[in-house]
Amino acid sequence: MFRIILSCLIFAMVLTGCSKGDTPKVSDNVFKQDWSQIEAAAEGTEVRMYMWGGDDNVNRYMDQWVAPRLKEQYGVTLVRTPMNAPEFMQKLMTEKKANSLKGTMDIVWINGENFKNVKANDLLSEPFVQILPNYNSFVDGNSNNIIFDFGTPVDGKEAPWGKVQFVYLYDSAKVKNPPANFTELAQWVKENPGKFTYPDPNDFTGNAFLRHLLYQQVGVETLIKEGYNPSLVSDKSKVMWSYLKDIKPYLWKKGQTYPQSLTQLDQMYSQGEVWINMGYNEARAEALIKQGVFPKTTKSFIMDPGSIGNTHFLAIPYNSPNVAGALVAINFLLSPDAQLAKMDPAGWGDNTVLDINKLPVEYKNKLDNLQRGASVLKAEDLANNLLPEFTPEYVNWIKETWLSEVGKTSN
Amino acid sequence: MLRTLSKLILIVTLISIFLVPLCFLVLFSVSANWWWPELFPGKFGLEPWFRIFNQPQIKAALWTTLWIGFLVIMLNLILALPIAKALAHLDFKGKSIIDTVFMLPILIPTMGIAMGLHITMIKYGLADSWVGVVLIHLLPTLPYSIRILRTAFEDLGVKWEEQARSLGASGITLLRTLWLPLILPSIRAIIFLTFIISMSQYILTVIIGGGKVVTLALVYFPYFNSSNPGAIAVLSIIFALLPLLIMGLWELIIRILFPVKKLKS
Repeated sequence: MFRIILSCLIFAMVLTGCSKGDTPKVSDNVFKQDWSQIEAAAEGTEVRMYMWGGDDNVNRYMDQWVAPRLKEQYGVTLVRTPMNAPEFMQKLMTEKKANSLKGTMDIVWINGENFKNVKANDLLSEPFVQILPNYNSFVDGNSNNIIFDFGTPVDGKEAPWGKVQFVYLYDSAKVKNPPANFTELAQWVKENPGKFTYPDPNDFTGNAFLRHLLYQQVGVETLIKEGYNPSLVSDKSKVMWSYLKDIKPYLWKKGQTYPQSLTQLDQMYSQGEVWINMGYNEARAEALIKQGVFPKTTKSFIMDPGSIGNTHFLAIPYNSPNVAGALVAINFLLSPDAQLAKMDPAGWGDNTVLDINKLPVEYKNKLDNLQRGASVLKAEDLANNLLPEFTPEYVNWIKETWLSEVGKTSN
Repeated sequence: MLRTLSKLILIVTLISIFLVPLCFLVLFSVSANWWWPELFPGKFGLEPWFRIFNQPQIKAALWTTLWIGFLVIMLNLILALPIAKALAHLDFKGKSIIDTVFMLPILIPTMGIAMGLHITMIKYGLADSWVGVVLIHLLPTLPYSIRILRTAFEDLGVKWEEQARSLGASGITLLRTLWLPLILPSIRAIIFLTFIISMSQYILTVIIGGGKVVTLALVYFPYFNSSNPGAIAVLSIIFALLPLLIMGLWELIIRILFPVKKLKS
């Protein structure tokens, strides 16, 4: 009996193994075609987009706004596949190892560390952003936030899709004039002891606060151009640590302890324990105000030298089975219509990557009239103060140095 | 006294471990927003349910999950029955080695095996297809099925079979009239367990199915990275109801196949 089963198994394996052995070729000449040819080639095809699926608002934007229009206007069927970035990165890595030239992913949604990895492992298509009409017309291809992804040069291998900016929140009922720079912040903190703190730098947001301060002390140009250079920074950053030690006794709980996460700071802010809050996504307060978590008088502000923002991107894997479809879909997602719909505060509320000054008047007006909410700063103010992220290696450097310089010393 | 006490403990445990969390799930799934420090949700509504079922993937994912689960159960039974029977009742060279090999998939982390198998499956064209997913789901299920059935066969011994054979039964008759009715409880356990394991596979389904095979787990798991209690609650309830549905179907089939016989063996 057992032998029969075993031989059956082997037979089955051989049978299934032989059934498919063809390796289709990648149509790399797509990148050299005219845009009209690409659109024609994309018509009637299916595009598979792999993206994190944990946000309802994002999913609904893709399923109910983007997909039907893409189908109607270009005949492209968009299939959204919910998958976390580490998983589809792993998949891509294995496919590369197995030398598979025809994968399943046409578009992936990535940024930061993930992009650095896929780029280093050569898992992406050739540069494509210059082909996209909407990129050429509406995106500022010289902006640091477009050509760098957390300090990694994009080199046209991913198209910007949206961005979030780091802003500070304050309760306008309690704070009359929010500080405009770090000097004023220190002054404010001393005048209102216990009403300010920042999350532990191990937290994403707490780390961003210190990155903002580092920008102030070391200089924007230096940090972007030099890349990771701790020796240079450690010298210039001494002022930063003394600044933090200086305000420490006036922080919440006299700086003996720090909130462990942004959630904790949010709670403290909603209870009125602290009066100033912070965080990525310039529009995030709006939803929390509507839910009654934050006070209605919550407003946001930015401090010199600006507001750190990071961009999230769309890329095409090296083995995409439908490059033409992917290009058409990405181009559509970069259209002023799609970008405006994405900003809808009732939906996703994600900021546009398009350059406001390059938009036609009609869209410029729409953008000006778009009510992102009273707690959100004006698009122009945000855009004019935008600072790019620098290389992610500093994240750990900040964690470690903060602990030895500020965290451990108790005064 | 002791009896009432143990009964009380049982009931309290049942309620606090199983019923209370379930009630919270249901509450979360029908509350529009429920924030600390409110004791009860301020607003009720079916909005989370509508939101989840408005996703085009969800219905397809339900069918895919059921279809893959069904195939995995079938393959498990077809493979595990003869293998377990052989391991229980036959003696042959290298039996212990084969026994160990069949247990390996649950001893070695499946992640490691899946990575290696992914490359092989890409080469054979099985990656990114439901066939590949069904095959990879055998990895975490078949060892248990073999174990369960083997124990059942060992407990029953060979005497029944000898007797039936002496009366002239063989082959299909032996299977249909003797073994199947006797191991029915084990089969029920296998169906339940196999389905639950199959439907909860996230990593294996993601890697081998490549996102082309979207099961419920694929829709469900990404929500854990978000702060959306409503969506998580709705999906959890669907997730919990599916195995019950399978169990119900199974009981129905058995009742049709064996109309009069009491199932308690």
